[in-house]
Amino acid sequence: MMNKRGFEFSFAWLFAIIVGAVIIFLAIYASTKLVKTQREVQDTELGKELGIILNPIETGLETAQASKISFSSETRIFNECKTISTFGSQRISTATKSGIGEEWQSPGEQSTFYNKYIFSESIAEGKDFVTFSKPFEMPFKVANLIYIWPLGDSYCLINPPGEIEDEVSDLSLDGFSIAAKASECPQDSKKICFTGTGCDIDITLDASKKISGSAKKKNADRVYFESSSLLYGAIFADSRTYECQLERLMRRTSELSGLYYSKSAFLAPKGCSSNLEADLITYANQTLSTNSSIDIRSIALISENIRRRNNELNCKLF
Amino acid sequence: MNLTASYSKKAQLKIQQMAFVLAAIIIFFAIVSILYLSISLRGLRGAASSLNEQEASELVRKLASTPEFSFEQNDCSNCIDLDKVLLLKSRQSYKEFWNLDFLKIEKVYPSQASLECEKSNYPDCSTITIIGKEDFGSPKSAFVSLCRWEQEKGGYTKCELGVIYASGKDIN
Repeated sequence: MMNKRGFEFSFAWLFAIIVGAVIIFLAIYASTKLVKTQREVQDTELGKELGIILNPIETGLETAQASKISFSSETRIFNECKTISTFGSQRISTATKSGIGEEWQSPGEQSTFYNKYIFSESIAEGKDFVTFSKPFEMPFKVANLIYIWPLGDSYCLINPPGEIEDEVSDLSLDGFSIAAKASECPQDSKKICFTGTGCDIDITLDASKKISGSAKKKNADRVYFESSSLLYGAIFADSRTYECQLERLMRRTSELSGLYYSKSAFLAPKGCSSNLEADLITYANQTLSTNSSIDIRSIALISENIRRRNNELNCKLF
Repeated sequence: MNLTASYSKKAQLKIQQMAFVLAAIIIFFAIVSILYLSISLRGLRGAASSLNEQEASELVRKLASTPEFSFEQNDCSNCIDLDKVLLLKSRQSYKEFWNLDFLKIEKVYPSQASLECEKSNYPDCSTITIIGKEDFGSPKSAFVSLCRWEQEKGGYTKCELGVIYASGKDIN
């Protein structure tokens, strides 16, 4: 005889199991999404906060300023430069390392700043970062340039000019060392040659006394600079970021030239004539049309002329 | 042949019961989700607003040393070139430059009747509003020196006491 006793799998059971499974699946899915969204929110806030704390780091009357930024955990800083709009924009976003879920997820929303110029690798990773700020003047002050690199990174300057050597020593920049030849550099440091070639970054300085020339990183395009602030930019930023930031700086120079032109025209009837209007208009047009660092040399010539003429004035424009 | 299906009334009642429970669970989760989303959205707005205010607060301290404001003829860290700022006011390109909804410079000493500066009444006026959107939060302020070219007595630089006000972008 067959045993008719058995477990009756009623509709209620079936229903409860299916609905229970759906609810559990939805709960897991929702909590995973929630954690991901929360991380994205935190990363977005962190990106904005980073942009804000870079304000006091910028220089006022100082010639340079260095400081450190520490994050609570390992962080990636994404530096994106855009040339869209009048001044272009600096976009910052961050991603933090996490022990839950994916180790690194895509960065939070970008924070956009129009008045910042950050020179760093497009993705800089670390827990602590060194920041360094210098004014960019051409011939008037145009902006503060900010350089960021992870605390662990080291740079070895081989035979740098006296001005750069003094600045690096005076500011005690973390990770920087100065050597007479490549063999004296610390291991794993990025070697920067000011004389000779074959280093991670080869700098070619012009014969003039001023800091002017070009820089070539391995597997990257050559970029051109005038002034030490742009030289540091060429060292810390990849060539794409450098070219983009320089284009943005030239646009701001153009706007400022326009402003100084207006000031000159406004003050001339009040007994403060500069006669620089024509030069300022030419300068504004030339800087606005710049889209490559190679143009910086010709711009520097006009800039030097304006600087010299302004210095001779009793009623200085800037 | 006559075919009829017979259903148990008890089973029908149980299915109805299950459906109601299911509906109740879905409604419960929907309410909880809406509540959570509205609270977190409010928190997010608060955080964004607070960050914008913080940005304005940091910026107001540094604005005097930015090239558009700074008085460069002498080494004065808190001096604003009022002639330059008056002309800056009419430049539309700078309206979004600092991520601010409100940016104003006010002369406080020697005191003057409240009058917005234009080229026609300058320098006999007291305020220059560079950015002035209708709705803005509580502005942050910092004391500055307002320096300008004064043509009297053969021409000299005259500096007066002023305040700079800035308010961050409204996120709504």
